Amino acid sequence: MAQNLIDALALGSLYALIALGVTLVYSVMDMMNFAHGEFIMLSAYALYVLAGLPFGIAVAGAVATGILVAVAAEWVAFRPVRNADLSAQLVTSLAVATILQNVVLATVKARPKSVATPTFVGESTQVAGLSVPNLEFLTLGLTAAVLVGLGWLLYRTRAGLAMRAAAENFEMARLLGVRADRVIALAFAISGALAAVVGVLLVMQTGQVSPTMGLTPVLVGFVAVVIGGFGRMFGAVLGGMLLGAASSLLGAYLPDSLVSFRDAIVFSLPVAILIFRPQGLLGGATGEARV
Amino acid sequence: MTGVRLRSRASLSVSLLAPLVLVALTALVGADGTPSLQGTVTTILCNLVIVLGLQVFIGNSGVYSFGQLGFAAAGAYLAALLTLPAAFTALQTPSLPDPIAGADLGPLPSTLIVVVACGALAAIVGLPLMRTSTLAIPISTFAFLIVVYNVLANWDAVTGGASGLVSIPRTTTIGSAACFAALASLVALAFKWSSSGYRLQATREDEVAARSLGTGVTRERLIAFTLSGALCGVGGALAVHQSGVLNPTTFYFAASVTTLTMLVVGGARSVFGAVVGTIAVSTVNELLRSLEGGASVFGVLTIGDTPGLAAIGVGLILLATMIAMPDGLTAGREAGELPWIRRLRAMRTPPVPAPAGAVGVERSHAPAVSQTLSAEGIAVSFGGLHVLRGVDLTLRRGEALGLIGPNGAGKTTLVNVLSGYLEPDAGSIALDGIDVSGRSPARLARMGLSRTFQAALPFRQLSGLESVAVGAMGVGVARRRAVEIAAEVLERLGMREQASLAAGSLTPAGQRLLGVARALATGPRYLLLDEPAAGLSEAEGDELVAILRAVLEDFRCGLLLIEHEMSVVMSLCPRVQVIDNGVTLRIGSPDEVQGDPAVVEAYLGSSYTVAIGA
Repeated sequence: MAQNLIDALALGSLYALIALGVTLVYSVMDMMNFAHGEFIMLSAYALYVLAGLPFGIAVAGAVATGILVAVAAEWVAFRPVRNADLSAQLVTSLAVATILQNVVLATVKARPKSVATPTFVGESTQVAGLSVPNLEFLTLGLTAAVLVGLGWLLYRTRAGLAMRAAAENFEMARLLGVRADRVIALAFAISGALAAVVGVLLVMQTGQVSPTMGLTPVLVGFVAVVIGGFGRMFGAVLGGMLLGAASSLLGAYLPDSLVSFRDAIVFSLPVAILIFRPQGLLGGATGEARV
Repeated sequence: MTGVRLRSRASLSVSLLAPLVLVALTALVGADGTPSLQGTVTTILCNLVIVLGLQVFIGNSGVYSFGQLGFAAAGAYLAALLTLPAAFTALQTPSLPDPIAGADLGPLPSTLIVVVACGALAAIVGLPLMRTSTLAIPISTFAFLIVVYNVLANWDAVTGGASGLVSIPRTTTIGSAACFAALASLVALAFKWSSSGYRLQATREDEVAARSLGTGVTRERLIAFTLSGALCGVGGALAVHQSGVLNPTTFYFAASVTTLTMLVVGGARSVFGAVVGTIAVSTVNELLRSLEGGASVFGVLTIGDTPGLAAIGVGLILLATMIAMPDGLTAGREAGELPWIRRLRAMRTPPVPAPAGAVGVERSHAPAVSQTLSAEGIAVSFGGLHVLRGVDLTLRRGEALGLIGPNGAGKTTLVNVLSGYLEPDAGSIALDGIDVSGRSPARLARMGLSRTFQAALPFRQLSGLESVAVGAMGVGVARRRAVEIAAEVLERLGMREQASLAAGSLTPAGQRLLGVARALATGPRYLLLDEPAAGLSEAEGDELVAILRAVLEDFRCGLLLIEHEMSVVMSLCPRVQVIDNGVTLRIGSPDEVQGDPAVVEAYLGSSYTVAIGA
């Protein structure tokens, strides 16, 4: 029981990290970024490419890759459609995701590659009679560090103030002298770094990389954001936690005949929530026109 | 009255025929080709049915769905299981229930079952999803796609699991695929030009304005989603009977991206665009795919084994389209609306003939029990800010009431409450004696209460005549009659010239007047106008006053006029209500109100009152 709760919390944390990366870009640019899954995938491939180097350096390379790819995608593809409507931006990000995924497919090929990770990641630690995988400690610790770090950045720095202002009212923030290009690039950079953290954790979990590994995470991030309410940082964390916990607990408690339908049940969850709360749990701005 | 049409006969015929001709040409290219070319052409035509399904929902609603391929998958599996010979079914899906396992139908009956089943599935799935927002729909439909995939890949006993189904009868020919594609394009056009299609397009152009004209956004989206699901199901059924094999990835993410690209490249708003885009993108896609296994291009460039090449191409085309040409190759126009075709045939939308009959708004003559719109004790606060603090308002049929007050007095908030856009914290609203508190804007419009907005909120892509006709369609008037009413209203407002122009191309004054025309076409018993003269020149303002005076006489509706331009209010409204700071300051004739020191003070401040010795 306690074991299952820790598993649920760990998966929830991972999902919350994904949702944070998605919502950060949404809050400054009103764009749901399909390519976030590919930022995760490319960071994971950086680990594969840098496999010979010490693991710490490889991780740094993965984070750098996530940031670089995110900022480059913003510069090349998303800046030209910044003023387009929500749907057009979403489709643009879908195009970017398709290109990135298939470039990897064409160059590294479809077959999953295995990546070696430090042995302690695969081991467990005994805590109060429970055997908790070290990876879960790492996930929880990283999530806590990211939340604290992001909180510090957003509420204690000038750049964070600019981002929060832009998230409230982008045009007004611009008129007051906030540099739009910088704020958006910064949001993408942080989002890319978060994607890299998720990519590294996923590699540690599964020990391999594949070109399609970004698809499920990006859906997780999207659904978490919908559940939590668009553009709310706390909503994204809450949505991610709920989704991860639900997924983990269903995996533990569903009868054997139904376990393989876990994803179907988990992703039907938002529909159930949206029936009762069409605006999401925290009811943020949803792109609805105002009178 | 007859003869009012939304488009000329020539334009209509070209728009209807162009997709059919393209389908026929595509089929002819493949008909005499190698078996491989025939297969490719048949696949393109099957894809076209799916893309037309996407067009019905995405094109008309402007909302993206990534889940329509889920309906194609459902249709494909159902069609496969219905047509697989019983012996094969028993081998591949041992525990399939008997009626389906035993079924050994031909392609046509199975396709008919698929239409009904996929339509029903889309209606059930859409019921909760369409209630959410424009941005939540793409994501929740994406989730639906993954749910379908997960079920298909794991329900081994029924779907054959991840390995899928084989030996499905290959009954789809170029001819049958072409027939279905032609039929689907006619269905898509018929829907686009139906009342429901127009109402949905109005929500795409401006959701807020469409609701004020009686259009229920959720309902119209659900209708299109259902039709789209049925069409996608047919496309899936056709495709599976072409390839003979099926697995859960056949209609999954990659196929979603490819079909969406086809739609967007051609121009999502247009059925013709869906056809053009499908043919164009399919051609590029097939060329690239033939290079994936490794090839040499003109002996110069040698390409090694590169899986994903076609998908990269599709992604680049989609990206380039979104950046450089978001309206697609056809700019969202049907064939008969393309500029060069119009020039070629000198075709124009026919001028609106002068109306011959009586005012087209029958409801105006219906007797009502108590002919007033009345609000009592309306209170609204945003956070700690009390915008309205117990305001009463009574508007009688046939009268013009001016609502004035300084900026921030709460005038627009009051109109938003009356028209159902804002729920008050306290107070009640009665329309002809019926309590209508809490009803939606669309429902109120259907009960005879319409409004305009401070911004013109035009339906940019619709013509003037279409924009106004949507008003009548929104309250349930049949399409043909709605067009006649629209023509009459435009004539009354002196807007015949603007009938055939796109609403987005009109002058600001024209767009504003068109907003009034739209609202009038709903046959309102009460019409709320929020600053109709804002931004108009003095001459345009005078013209507006004349038109509103005529409206009051012709349409016999109660008119509530919010206006800053005092001359407009004073010349039109025998009764004026002044509100300030969320309460009613004074109700009276224009002269009484202007002479009231409290009103003067509210507008100009107390120091001014003292200075002039009032």
